[in-house]
Amino acid sequence: MRAVNFILRLVVGGVFVAAGTLKIWDPSGFANDIANYRLLPDALVNLVAITLPSIEVLAGSLLMAGLWKKPSALLITGLMAVFLVGIVQAVVRHLDIHCGCFSSHEARHVGLIALAQDLTLFCAAAWLTFWYKD
Amino acid sequence: MRTFLLALLIAGAGTVLGLAVNTVSPRRLPVITPPKVELQPTDFIALTDARQLWQSSAALFLDARAPADYKDGHIAGAFNLPVEDFNARYPEIATLLTMETVIVTYCDGVECDLSHHLTERLRAFGYRNVRVLQNGWTVWRQADLTTVTGTKP
Repeated sequence: MRAVNFILRLVVGGVFVAAGTLKIWDPSGFANDIANYRLLPDALVNLVAITLPSIEVLAGSLLMAGLWKKPSALLITGLMAVFLVGIVQAVVRHLDIHCGCFSSHEARHVGLIALAQDLTLFCAAAWLTFWYKD
Repeated sequence: MRTFLLALLIAGAGTVLGLAVNTVSPRRLPVITPPKVELQPTDFIALTDARQLWQSSAALFLDARAPADYKDGHIAGAFNLPVEDFNARYPEIATLLTMETVIVTYCDGVECDLSHHLTERLRAFGYRNVRVLQNGWTVWRQADLTTVTGTKP
């Protein structure tokens, strides 16, 4: 079980570090992706585009490093919940938009595959938050 | 409870980190998103009209997206003029233009306003015939019109 938890931490943390880093690289592309979700007031789009990637990298790094495992896993679970809401509403509203999950250059559009991937990550992060035992 | 507070602390630290990175980044964004450029309905061009202009080579198409997006694929013949790099790239593009040149700007996404900002910048320089093909990259591909990849038009 320890090995499973360890691998889960590396995978979930690693995905967040990778996703955050790619987005830090291209803030305006990410801001554009966020705006396309049509969830946030326009004035807040840049603020989220500036801060969210760093939060992802920090939380992912801590989870991988095994420091503050539960808090970082909780934060990632919360973020995944927000991302899921964004994706579900985009699918329901038939928005044909870039996922923006990793970077604005990925071809992946919001849809059922993105939804399934995010749901998997959400479950893994929730497991690490609520059922993980050292 | 302690877990929750620590999670908030990480989020707060990430926020500070993000703002700090933004102040030193060459690609920094204004923290508060600037208001959208207010365009009139007549500032937009329909796909059918844009296509006619393209087929008769009567307009210059300008791609307002980032160079990486442009490289991944763009409307055939379109030049890349990213809003962020406007000052660096404009002189080269300017050699292709007169004040009367018909210009079609585009980016990607129904909410994308890079093309709006580009249109505004060009108008400020005195170009009179600039119009936006909204969500241009997507609608162009959906109509199966000609696209190319790479850094050249």
